[in-house]
Amino acid sequence: MVVRVRIRNAETGATVDMELEGENSVEEIIEGVSAYWEKDPGAYVIRKGRRLLRGQQKVQDLDLTSSEELELIPDPEGGSR
Amino acid sequence: MEVEERDPPSPERTLPHKWLPKDARRLYSENDGTEMYLSKMAEEKVRNHALSRTKDGLEVMGLLLGEVFTHQGREYSVVRDVATTDLEATPVSVRFDPEGFESLFTSLESARFRYVLVGWYHSHPGHGCFLSPTDIATQKGMFDRPYHTALVVDPVRKEMEAFCLRKGEVHRRKFLVYWDEYQNPFYGESVRSRKLNE
Repeated sequence: MVVRVRIRNAETGATVDMELEGENSVEEIIEGVSAYWEKDPGAYVIRKGRRLLRGQQKVQDLDLTSSEELELIPDPEGGSR
Repeated sequence: MEVEERDPPSPERTLPHKWLPKDARRLYSENDGTEMYLSKMAEEKVRNHALSRTKDGLEVMGLLLGEVFTHQGREYSVVRDVATTDLEATPVSVRFDPEGFESLFTSLESARFRYVLVGWYHSHPGHGCFLSPTDIATQKGMFDRPYHTALVVDPVRKEMEAFCLRKGEVHRRKFLVYWDEYQNPFYGESVRSRKLNE
């Protein structure tokens, strides 16, 4: 099973298409796009609509359809310290 | 990503923020526009969010949802809305509660425009507006484009300031609050003078 999805970088609006196999994990998707956009993978999450995709979930369990758009969202940290 | 050319909000519908610290006001001596326009609605949400936790002395945080345009060769961002969720907050640190992401995503899904995260906001209750080493790491790692802004609010001192990175260095960013015509307090009204005791 191969599914082609589009990942949108919410910080820039840029997108990249990825071909995913059922065995790929969400963690691997984040690592892939983070490398592409030169980001720290540990500081991002991915959403599918209102749903948070968890790192260990497999593509085959995500109900992804072809050409679906996922979004890379930053998980920032702030503080006066 | 192609950036659309568009006129910024007109000067009649923009104002500097009323919580600008005195030493930031020199940036505003000339009416030459700015690189960041913050909608009145977004500004109220940020300010009210920060004020809501003042009693507890806790920080708040959220994302700035907007668009990026150019005008006469100059890039600028328009913050139209903000999104936030439950937080893991202390008086000196803040981040999203991992259990709160789906609530954040609900806010993002309900945005009525194709947003770009043009920055983030957070509060420093009682500590003033600046970027700490943690904030700078966040800015460099996530919001390093010229249009990205870190909006910082201190609800205790009643201060608000914006910052950005230029060549890796933190700089103050001039920003203006804008309102749409329908948000004008006198919109749709015709004001007539009349004599007392009429």
